[in-house]
Amino acid sequence: MAEAFSITAAELVSLGKNAIPPQLRSTEHLVYSSPATLAFNSPGAQGFGVKRAGLAVPESVMLLVAPACCGRNTSALGAESSLADRFFYLLQDEADIVTGRHLTQIPQAVQEVVASCQKRPSAVMLCITCVDALLGTDVEAVCRKASEAAGLPVVPCYMYALTREGRLPPMVSVRKSIYSLLKPTPRRKDAVNLLGYFSPLQEDCELPALLRSVGLQTVKELSRCADFAEFQEMSRANFNLVLHPEVRVAADDLHQRLGIPSIELTRVYDLEKVRHQYEALANAIGVTFKFATYYSRARDAVEAFHAACPEAVFAVGEWCNADPFELTLSLLRYGFRVSDLYGTVSTASFVYLRKIAELSPNTRIFSNLSPTMLVYHGSPDATHAIGNDAAFYNPNRPAVSWADEPQPFGFAAIEHLFRNLLALL
Amino acid sequence: MKKLLKYLSPFAPDQSGAVATLFELGGLIVICDAGGCTGNVCGFDEPRWFLKRSAVFSAALRDMDAILGRDQKLVEKVVDAAQSLDTPFTALIGTPVPAVIATDFRALKRMVEKRTSRLCLPISTNGTAYYDEGASVALSELYSAFATESLPVDPTTAAILGATPLDISAPSPEKLLNAAHALGFPHVFCATMGGSLEDVRRAASSSLNLVVSPAGIATARLLQQRFGTPWRTWFPVPDLPEIAQHASVLVIHQQIAANAIRESLEQRGTEHVSVATWFRLEKELARPGDIRLSSEEQFADLANRFDVMIADRHLRHAVPAFQGTWVDVPHFAISGRLEGTP
Repeated sequence: MAEAFSITAAELVSLGKNAIPPQLRSTEHLVYSSPATLAFNSPGAQGFGVKRAGLAVPESVMLLVAPACCGRNTSALGAESSLADRFFYLLQDEADIVTGRHLTQIPQAVQEVVASCQKRPSAVMLCITCVDALLGTDVEAVCRKASEAAGLPVVPCYMYALTREGRLPPMVSVRKSIYSLLKPTPRRKDAVNLLGYFSPLQEDCELPALLRSVGLQTVKELSRCADFAEFQEMSRANFNLVLHPEVRVAADDLHQRLGIPSIELTRVYDLEKVRHQYEALANAIGVTFKFATYYSRARDAVEAFHAACPEAVFAVGEWCNADPFELTLSLLRYGFRVSDLYGTVSTASFVYLRKIAELSPNTRIFSNLSPTMLVYHGSPDATHAIGNDAAFYNPNRPAVSWADEPQPFGFAAIEHLFRNLLALL
Repeated sequence: MKKLLKYLSPFAPDQSGAVATLFELGGLIVICDAGGCTGNVCGFDEPRWFLKRSAVFSAALRDMDAILGRDQKLVEKVVDAAQSLDTPFTALIGTPVPAVIATDFRALKRMVEKRTSRLCLPISTNGTAYYDEGASVALSELYSAFATESLPVDPTTAAILGATPLDISAPSPEKLLNAAHALGFPHVFCATMGGSLEDVRRAASSSLNLVVSPAGIATARLLQQRFGTPWRTWFPVPDLPEIAQHASVLVIHQQIAANAIRESLEQRGTEHVSVATWFRLEKELARPGDIRLSSEEQFADLANRFDVMIADRHLRHAVPAFQGTWVDVPHFAISGRLEGTP
């Protein structure tokens, strides 16, 4: 094989979103396994997969009902970490995965787990896998039985990798499960939830401060809830801000069940887009945000890096806290070049791809998942890499992994990204 | 409940053992899963994955592939990749998904071989067994397929069978090779770690097969039958502290490593050493009283009968009441921890 499959932005746009080449569609080929694809194949291996995400519910424990293989990477999260005493496993053997006989054991297992905890957990997150997806297990019914037996909430976490591209992928579903634990409570006008992430926004992200500045004094994030009681206070919110598309279904459910409406904001790296987004939010809730200081700081960071490195050429990956297509477009608009983009192309990507093709028609698009990436050894043109995958392919280029757990958002995200890039020089 | 783990996390599964066995041999390794198993195998159970590239792929099965049993689609994906990559063989590794839908791996083998004109190794692991089972099947399939040529025996050469990072808790075989050289063999090959498919093909030239884990036993027997190559179990013993002569000691590891540690302690004068393992316990290698562990409760009961425990420290979580001395010997298949790392 000569080289990895890639296509220029111009070529891809000319083909159109209904004719994405099969080499860029993960359902059409084997998926290459390299450190660059770890986050795709097993989000929980590093970062948040279903298992760790489920435990975002304060004071909860998780019972994983699965063959041994499905719980294996949890030992990285378990024994030596703060989650050590929150993971439990009911192992399925060969007969279980064929007959489903394990289902009758789950209520007893939940009882034993609860009894073994020094402090009674707030809930048991019941994590099940592809096996039960194929067996057609009625997990809701199993959870109800277990809940009756143990006397506390038992909610399902569907780790169904088989449904990754389906209507309710695992990381969407787990968010719905988490917020399903919120119960109706009288609402407060000054309360708002930030939904989407399992780890907190970066400490100096301006969004909570902007909200507080207009009287929304109670700004809640799941990951900052100290205990289950504080988590329950999220049900008092006047509205939810959806910061990640994978929480839309949960937000819709909260709207339906608790009457909490939501407004969606997108993480973008274009200064003007961030400004427009805040202005639109302010209009929607009838306030005015004063964000000039944050805007200036972000703009200064971009300009400082541009002044220091005007000829920067980027390789941009998808294993980072950004949409690689949006980030690429933003970098191009700031006057930089992007030679290589490693991303999973979907019809939604074309919103950005069309503009990328206008500004930089020769930017090459690769799929991390393509088998041909086995022989890809980096970009000959890139001077910098952004993302863990881009750093993996381009080990000799200065790189910002941009995949830390504290979540960047808004002007602060732009400021931090460019300050991190500047620090590489 | 026997199958409930309250203190430990699951050990390396059969599919990880299969991949570990084949990882360095240049084949197209296809894990028949939806993606998560591949992530676990590579991201957690295969330390070499971060150091060197290997053609490991997920079949990226989706619900309708499984429900409708789209074997032909899988074969097409494998053929496409095989045509793109110049790999000498294909290996199909099973996971719970094909186990539930009763995938016929032998049929897949025939279909893939017909289309690629290369050998295909069907490894029908299912994710419920431990790594040694998968490693054993993969090694047997590998040697059955490629160690076919009779060659003159070289008395200066020995081969190591059954070595993976999961067993020796190291990403490279240097220590193992050095110890084997010290046995008097100037030439030692270890196909599954630091070796190549060529080492498998020249298996007949080995004068002795050194079996370092139970996963290598079936293959050692195969090679004995096929070429008359003698074999024996062997494992280089890690450095251990002085242990009192009358102390009762329990060694927990894979059986061959644990046996080697026991023999070493006995040579140093310790009188009461028992062996337990969470993995295969071969009857002919076991002494009366050796135990195959199968639950946390059983382990907790057992541990409290001993003064000294020689085992991966990860296991200590399951025996909080143990008051004796714990000697930590990492076992990657248990803790995912390499020798010499914190």
